[in-house]
Amino acid sequence: MDIALDDDQVMLKETAVSFAQQALPAARIRELETTEQGFDAGVWKEMAQMGWVAAGFPEAYGGAETGWLELALIVEALGQGAIPSPLFSTVVEAGFTLLDAGADRQKEDWLPRIAAGEALMTVALMEANGGLRAQDISARIARSGNGFRIDGTKAFVRDAGAADAIICVARSGDGAQDITLAIVPKDAPGVSLRRMAAAGGESLWEVSFKGVEVNADAIVGEMGAAWPAAARLLLRGAALKSAELVGIGQTSLDLTLSYAKERVQFGKPIGSFQGVQHHAAEMYRDLEVSRLLSWQASSALGEGLSGEREVAMAKAKASQCIPALTRTAHQIHGAVAYYRDYPLELYYHRALAAQAAYGDAAYHRRTLARLLTADPHAFRGNDAHELPVHYF
Amino acid sequence: MNFNLNREEAAFRDEVRTFLRRELTPEVFAKHRDTGEQGMWTPEFTKAFRRKLGAAGYLGMGWPKEYGGGGRSRIYQAILWDEMEYHRAPGLDRSMTYIPNAVMTFGSDAQKAALLPKINRGEISWFVGYSEPEAGSDLANLKTRALADGDDFIISGQKAFSSDAHMADYAWLAARTDPNSQRHRGITMFMVDMKSPGVSIAKHPTLAGWTHHSVHFDNVRVPKSMMVGELDQGWKVLMGAIDFERAALASPGLVNYQFDRLLAWSAQSRDGSDRPIDDAVVQDELVRLAIEAEGTRIMSYWLASLHARGQHPQHETSLALLVKRETARLFDEKGMELLGPYAPLRTGAPHAQLDGEVEIEYRDHLYFQFAAGGFDITRNVVATRGLGLPR
Repeated sequence: MDIALDDDQVMLKETAVSFAQQALPAARIRELETTEQGFDAGVWKEMAQMGWVAAGFPEAYGGAETGWLELALIVEALGQGAIPSPLFSTVVEAGFTLLDAGADRQKEDWLPRIAAGEALMTVALMEANGGLRAQDISARIARSGNGFRIDGTKAFVRDAGAADAIICVARSGDGAQDITLAIVPKDAPGVSLRRMAAAGGESLWEVSFKGVEVNADAIVGEMGAAWPAAARLLLRGAALKSAELVGIGQTSLDLTLSYAKERVQFGKPIGSFQGVQHHAAEMYRDLEVSRLLSWQASSALGEGLSGEREVAMAKAKASQCIPALTRTAHQIHGAVAYYRDYPLELYYHRALAAQAAYGDAAYHRRTLARLLTADPHAFRGNDAHELPVHYF
Repeated sequence: MNFNLNREEAAFRDEVRTFLRRELTPEVFAKHRDTGEQGMWTPEFTKAFRRKLGAAGYLGMGWPKEYGGGGRSRIYQAILWDEMEYHRAPGLDRSMTYIPNAVMTFGSDAQKAALLPKINRGEISWFVGYSEPEAGSDLANLKTRALADGDDFIISGQKAFSSDAHMADYAWLAARTDPNSQRHRGITMFMVDMKSPGVSIAKHPTLAGWTHHSVHFDNVRVPKSMMVGELDQGWKVLMGAIDFERAALASPGLVNYQFDRLLAWSAQSRDGSDRPIDDAVVQDELVRLAIEAEGTRIMSYWLASLHARGQHPQHETSLALLVKRETARLFDEKGMELLGPYAPLRTGAPHAQLDGEVEIEYRDHLYFQFAAGGFDITRNVVATRGLGLPR
């Protein structure tokens, strides 16, 4: 047991935070929210040069094979700076899915280019029904000549506008988990996109596939057996979104503390009032609990454990607490932060978008409820006691 | 970063569990449990158990070897505290946690030589004489006086809300040595033999069902050799001890027990009724509680990890205590909600659930909200010491 960052992790965190805090001025972040691409290509290139884009990839594909906790620290820092990037779509979703389930040829084709910041990908998993289960997927993939044909409409697809290719999660049969993945170039005939305008400029897209033809070598993993890879994608996404929420919460608290120390009303800094102090203490409490749960979730993924329980706890807690924290931050700031030229609104909107991504709080509590009822003892984790049954 | 116990730590946890299960059988609970005592055990059993803890080497486990300790890291202490709380063992209190630590940090060589071996064997217990009728959250307002007289000090005053004073061998006492001093200046710490002439104890029944105490000091003579630290510098001793106290109180054992007990109850059917755990609303409540319990557990071991790395967390300790106690109160609240019509039934009543323990704790834990730095005071501490907000 050693729940503390080691020296290398502290240095990585400091470097990442200082990068994220100066990478883009707030005005540029707001401008990016209105662009089709949604992120700054120069910043993405810099991140690639620093090795952060492919930090978790094996060296053979241009990566550094860092652990999941290191990735979480980078994502936390990006959240702190409100830096938009295609890290989730290209790396957390697509890149690791290829690593996880792809053929060597697919990995060699895509991963080094992703690592260099030259290629962008995403995964089209959800649909208009908003579900995250295999049975919620109705887009179809079927044999067609020597290849396959895809029909259906996906939604909530991250960064589809900027992506070079989309990994489509589609149904290849009627069995609940008869799910197949296929790489589709974005400019393939029959692919069309509509932007889903969202809080904080979150780059979400509806992607329609109408008779889209792909070759047999586009299939990622086994036909009809790809759902476990999709489920692992959701876990990775949720673990790292909880880290992003922690970063969002950190800056919201930092802005609030600075303001409360400087803003004078009734002849005193408002931070000297206990009403404000108690809000601040509770914001800090929720932030630190969320941070520890988030670190635990990423550590569990890194140890190759299923991490289902740890990730669900982290994302459920952060999804509930961090948006609440940003609401309290606004309450303490008052009118000044209601104006768009004050940076707090960036975090208010990003908290809303992040709590919804890869399962909201209720989704993850449902996961926990399923684990709890399936095996109450295992649910309590490695240190579980025998349940006290002497009462009955 | 490692969120799991390593092999040696897990082996120690198993050893402690075996010890506690062997010593605290259902028969022992039936015989020595005493809801009339704050510690929920008879004073005799508490004292006997403290000696057993000493004999097993647990009391001095984390002390430096030079004081006869085991030199084990704070992770091991955290495991011990965690398991003791979970198993509701007696003796997890000031006599084991922060007073020995304060004696080692601030005591004279003679005091250490005289007291530490006895503390290590579990032979002495303490009450903490901080609070007074006019000095609760505002401790620096304390009025008890200690006036120098030859080789002695003469102590007069009243200490209030004095947990376990009736079974204590010594008082760990804060008194004002400079009568003209203000606030936290001019306070000195003493160790006072409770058998000294002039010490008397008054009883105060609490709504929790146990009896609390206050202690009067009427011209009690204390030799100067029992002064702790320097004259008029007691505030430093007191604050050093408080941080250590908070770390021990932040142990997650209680909330994990509360969770397991509620979970076990929810998985039972009563006279053919549906099992609560099969209901979606109950599941959601249990899951929300599980998340808070897990947060409490990680935060406690995070604190232990910082200590084990030789760091000196300050406000983080207050934060961990706040998280633990708020979580325990959440369990009290939600436990009562889930128990439904059984909620108010007291121990021994027909159809009382879980031996009426949840109802007892609903009353008992009320003190979490105001004692040893209540919720609001702790939020003040976190906001000012931790977040740098102006006082």
